[in-house]
Amino acid sequence: MSLATMFLQLVKGMGITVEIFFLTLLFSLPAGLVLSFGRMSKQGWLRVISKFYISVMRGTPLMLQLIVVYFAPYYVFGIRISSGYRFVAVIIAFVLNYAAYFAEIYRSGIESMAVGQYEAAKVLGYSRSQTFFKIILPQVIKRVLPPVTNETITLVKDTSLAFVLAEAEMFTIAKQIAAKETSIMPLMAAGLFYYIFNLAVAGFMEYLEKKLNYYR
Amino acid sequence: MKKFMAMVCAAAFGICTLAACGSGAEAQDTANAGETAQAGGGEAAAGDTAAAGERKTFTVGFDAEFPPYGYMDEDGNYTGFDLDLAKEVCARNGWEFVAQPVDWDSKDMELNSGSIDCIWNGFTMQGREDAYTWSVPYVDNSQVFVVPADAGIASQADLAGKVVGVQKDSSALAALDGDAKELAVTFADLQQYGDYNVAFMDLEQGAIDALAIDIGVANYQLSSRGDAFVILEERLASEQYGIGFKLGNEELKNQVEATLLEMVQDGKFMEIAEKYSDFGLTDSVCLGK
Repeated sequence: MSLATMFLQLVKGMGITVEIFFLTLLFSLPAGLVLSFGRMSKQGWLRVISKFYISVMRGTPLMLQLIVVYFAPYYVFGIRISSGYRFVAVIIAFVLNYAAYFAEIYRSGIESMAVGQYEAAKVLGYSRSQTFFKIILPQVIKRVLPPVTNETITLVKDTSLAFVLAEAEMFTIAKQIAAKETSIMPLMAAGLFYYIFNLAVAGFMEYLEKKLNYYR
Repeated sequence: MKKFMAMVCAAAFGICTLAACGSGAEAQDTANAGETAQAGGGEAAAGDTAAAGERKTFTVGFDAEFPPYGYMDEDGNYTGFDLDLAKEVCARNGWEFVAQPVDWDSKDMELNSGSIDCIWNGFTMQGREDAYTWSVPYVDNSQVFVVPADAGIASQADLAGKVVGVQKDSSALAALDGDAKELAVTFADLQQYGDYNVAFMDLEQGAIDALAIDIGVANYQLSSRGDAFVILEERLASEQYGIGFKLGNEELKNQVEATLLEMVQDGKFMEIAEKYSDFGLTDSVCLGK
């Protein structure tokens, strides 16, 4: 296999990797926020359910979760799946898992806000939702950006776990090329791709942080 | 205002992701490795139980890291002896051929859940007779030991006290756990690997002394890695490859088998085997001779 073909194949795999990455963020960032509300709810049962969910999602391997999401429809519910479900299952599993981590990050941000701010907002006549969206959330976003960056970078690398479902993302492709070429070089090349992708992600998040740093 | 701009920026993060979502569907199709592989597989495999006459696609599950039976070729498409046979079977039945790589650990779950129609990938029948509906055997395979040429290991007796590698859930492992148990207990350790490429790298760097492996795969590895390795004359086990269908799926099995035998009759089968003669396949096929 020529270097050019190898590069092309890895780029194709990269396409799937990028897709998994963005789709996961798209759904798990808001899902995490909703989950963090549940986690901090005044309703005891809601808090318990959310806490349990987070502990299961963080306490079991993502690789196992991928397998469960993909095979559960048939083995648990007897529904025959089609091959198109493969990619969907990857996204579902990643979203479910990352929402749990993001929820805890949001919670740390929200709970770090001083009570005085809520009191002041109340005195000024802000409603509860106004207080949250206009006063609290903007500050929370600033505070949680560094841990979110952490999680996002981990996500880029975690996409490689989709190989257990044989989804043709970059790591799966790299392993196939490595088997064909009987060489470790394609895996190194894949590593370089991941690094460059993460460099871009980290760069963008740093830019965002600077932009949001408007009081300094 | 500045603050507003920054929030917009944060929102842009979300919008990027939305854009990715919009183009998602086509991107998945074009981004797949082989042009025949996976594309269109979406609606495909559901009709597993449908009458053969209505069948439109035939989805072959295989391990894409198992050359020369199923692997990625020079152009990044999936190829191999078994896939070429399957492609010809599809052409003759008017089915669309779909090559679906699977993780070898999940092959049974993939087959039972209907995402693939058969496992056709150097699939050993022995020891699995009752687990699948099998076609006639088409390859006589043997399990052999590969050792470094300079290791001074010339027979299985020399393997005593050595570390031997094997692929997990492979028939070599089954042999070492079963009939060849007496041989296996003389090893210092039996190291299991997920794929042969990693196992070979480990053999190359000296972490293991020998590797128990399918002869076809061994020939492929040796032809690519040069003469630093040799295959021991003494065989570990002999066995046969067949096409594995979901238990009870006689109808599909019969049709595929009939087409395969027809290909044997008119010489197409051997013609395909010739393509892979470098890896010893013309010797090991057991049909068409």
